[in-house]
Amino acid sequence: MTKSHFSVILHVDDKHSHLTKMIINKGPGIMKMKRKLPTTVSGWGALALFFVTILSLPTLFLIFRVFQPPSENWEHIREYMLQSYITDTLLLALWTGVFAVAIGTTLAWLVSAYDFPLRGTLKWALLMPLAIPPYIGAYTYHGMLNYTGVIQVTLREHFDTAVSQRYFDIMNMPGAVFIFTLFLYPYVYAITRAFFASQATSLVENARVLGSGPVRIFLRVVIPIARGAIVAGATLVVLEVLNDYGVVSYFGIQTFSTAIFQTWFAFGDLDAAIKLAGILMGIVFILLFLEKLLRGRRQFSYSNTKVSPLKPVPLKGWHKWMAVFYTGIIFTLGFFLPVAQLLYWSFLTYEDIFSNTFLALIRNSALAAGISAAGVVIIAIVIANFARMSKGWLPALTSRLTVLGYSIPGAVIAVGVISFFISMDEWLGAFYSSVGASTNLVLSTSIVMLLFAYIIRFMAVGYNSIEAGFDKIGMKFNEASRTLGMGWTETFLRVDLKMIRPAIFSGFILVFVDILKELPLTLILRPFNFETLASMAYRYASDERIQEAAPASIFIVLVSGVAMFIFHIIIEKEPN
Amino acid sequence: MHVQISDLQFHYPSSSSPTIRDFSLYMQEGEIVSILGESGSGKSTILRLIAGLERPEKGSIRVGNQVYCEDNRSFLPVEKRGIGMVFQDYALFPHMTVEQNVMFGLKRWKRTERLQRVDEMLELIHMEEYRKRYPYELSGGQQQRVALTRALAPKPSLLLLDEPFSNLDAHLQQRIRDELRDTIKHTGTTTIFVTHDEEDARVLADRVVLVEKGGVKQVGRPCDLLRKSLQDRYQQTPIQV
Ligand SMILES: Nc1ncnc2c1ncn2[C@@H]1O[C@H](COP(=O)(O)OP(=O)(O)OP(=O)(O)O)[C@@H](O)[C@H]1O
Ligand SMILES: [Mg+2]
Repeated sequence: MTKSHFSVILHVDDKHSHLTKMIINKGPGIMKMKRKLPTTVSGWGALALFFVTILSLPTLFLIFRVFQPPSENWEHIREYMLQSYITDTLLLALWTGVFAVAIGTTLAWLVSAYDFPLRGTLKWALLMPLAIPPYIGAYTYHGMLNYTGVIQVTLREHFDTAVSQRYFDIMNMPGAVFIFTLFLYPYVYAITRAFFASQATSLVENARVLGSGPVRIFLRVVIPIARGAIVAGATLVVLEVLNDYGVVSYFGIQTFSTAIFQTWFAFGDLDAAIKLAGILMGIVFILLFLEKLLRGRRQFSYSNTKVSPLKPVPLKGWHKWMAVFYTGIIFTLGFFLPVAQLLYWSFLTYEDIFSNTFLALIRNSALAAGISAAGVVIIAIVIANFARMSKGWLPALTSRLTVLGYSIPGAVIAVGVISFFISMDEWLGAFYSSVGASTNLVLSTSIVMLLFAYIIRFMAVGYNSIEAGFDKIGMKFNEASRTLGMGWTETFLRVDLKMIRPAIFSGFILVFVDILKELPLTLILRPFNFETLASMAYRYASDERIQEAAPASIFIVLVSGVAMFIFHIIIEKEPN
Repeated sequence: MHVQISDLQFHYPSSSSPTIRDFSLYMQEGEIVSILGESGSGKSTILRLIAGLERPEKGSIRVGNQVYCEDNRSFLPVEKRGIGMVFQDYALFPHMTVEQNVMFGLKRWKRTERLQRVDEMLELIHMEEYRKRYPYELSGGQQQRVALTRALAPKPSLLLLDEPFSNLDAHLQQRIRDELRDTIKHTGTTTIFVTHDEEDARVLADRVVLVEKGGVKQVGRPCDLLRKSLQDRYQQTPIQV
């Protein structure tokens, strides 16, 4: 949502390349003197390593178990289904990527380079579709388009026309691409727009002076220089598609996510699920590798010393209205229409829905999101502080592993976490029976599992925020404090921690909102009878009780919308 | 306390050639030494090494009878060194008041002594009435004085100043410089300050060290060293209006 959210993957790669090896004590010396600094550093380091290890264990576990001998089910899956999982998943990701790039970059360019009515508002309004999780968008559109939905009813009653149902069916592959594009293009839009706003625009202005036409400039100058930003945005979009479970299962499309769910829940075959998860993870790694390749060596930094924002050229005549129409229609489809529809449904059903159960849903969601977000922030602070107090490959590796979870699809994390917790339970079985527990599935049926998975998945979001906070204050206050006799830990508590409070706050909010919207992890890992707003909305929707799903959905959309709005204001107001 | 620095050697991990080479300096107790040199010659790095913010590859630093570092064998961390440092941009803690900033380094003092010391120090710089203000509510010159006071309050054995006047405008610079000299002389603190302004060095320093490319080029009294370089300059530009 904010830049730090988007930059999750962008900045991770080149961040720590400059870190080099810490000079460590060698040889004999005066023990008392040389001990103090390393002790504090290694204290923080030990804690950071502990967290990173715990967070990476499920993934390592998964990689390890992928290579175990296959089950019978697996032979069946591999022979008859695997190919269609792969093609459908890739088709979905590819087409969504293409459309999201087309819409995202043209919108970003239009808003950055041209002036037209409502531009100021649309600039941030075009981000808003991100507040609607695709699965909510999916069933909202299905509800609007089906036989009893607003569109067909209007057509029938006011225009007396009945169009073949075929044209209203979006529960198929093109429909899913439509939904994903509509609600995910803002990733591309936001990153490319930030790029246009911050990077040197002299190239573009030169091209203008040299008399190139606007289309030519866009295709020959803008797209090539923004390539890195576009690829980064497209990668986020594709990762979201791979992560999705709600849309594809609602639309009945077989992707890896749904396949993993089925093998695990329907066949109860964890081993086969692990194998599928392993392949999906392989696809993600190939994707990340491709991203690096496509972005090129320059990592999209054309930053030169003089950053002058592009001066928007006023559009005239029908061009002006075309621009308003194009941006307006995307905003309407991606935000206004679905929100209006959800509000209307909520209005119809709120009396039945708003009850103690609904309050319990809010409480569950808020608790799960709050505890996990706090966990994320605390772990992020420890690891980021370690990365900043000592140099070398270890802290660099630590912070890389920390942000890895964000690119791993929810279903994969879920399978990793489940198998990890089940093994823990087996391992602790003797202990459980010695304290008289009646079951030896303690950890794997508790909410700890879900919270743990949330933390893995959204660690990067919090980490980037905290790291940006540390970067912003720099080292000088820390150094000043240490020259005044404070050790690392004291300095951290009395100076650093106080100064990064805004970053802590924004990190917490970002993670909180992400968890509120999260679906696949929640569905797989929630304990029996534990429902959140997201899982309940999804349950209603898949029971074809779409109107009843609306209150929970609108709640989620409003909370994330407000959070986005606040961040937008903060970012725009903040001086460079 | 007297200071003995010998044969310091250091390079930043990212640079291939040594940033500091064979830097040596001996100082008497209470002496004020100015390090003068071009931009990038390594002045700040020398202060960072003495402070313990960087670790030398070779060489030793002793202050009084304390060993700050000795080759690769021992290294006393910054917070144990008891030095005072004034940074170029002051680095006053923005979330603390003037009083809290000055008190920051006194945490191991007894409460009554601590309060007394803060009063005494604020009086010395004539800023008693500003004690509850936050740094952003102060002018540049006031911030500079607070930074100096914060560094001096814990009675450091050695005071390090990195271009303490570079953020001030010219006439303020003169006033603050005189004040600084009085304050330092009043407390008798051994001081090293970095500057690239010869006038600063002339007014403040007992001795001047000229550095070039990380090594000592010349050492001497300001009047000897600086007159000569001024003469050089006049010879190069003979027409003076
Ligand atoms: N953190 C760093 N990492 C790598 N190289 C550095 C770092 N800090 C300084 N340098 C390099 O070390 C050399 C000495 O820098 P230093 O800051 O000590 O110079 P200086 O004499 O204080 O200059 P100035 O008068 O501009 O402040 C320079 O070439 C500089 O580029
Ligand atoms: Mg300097």
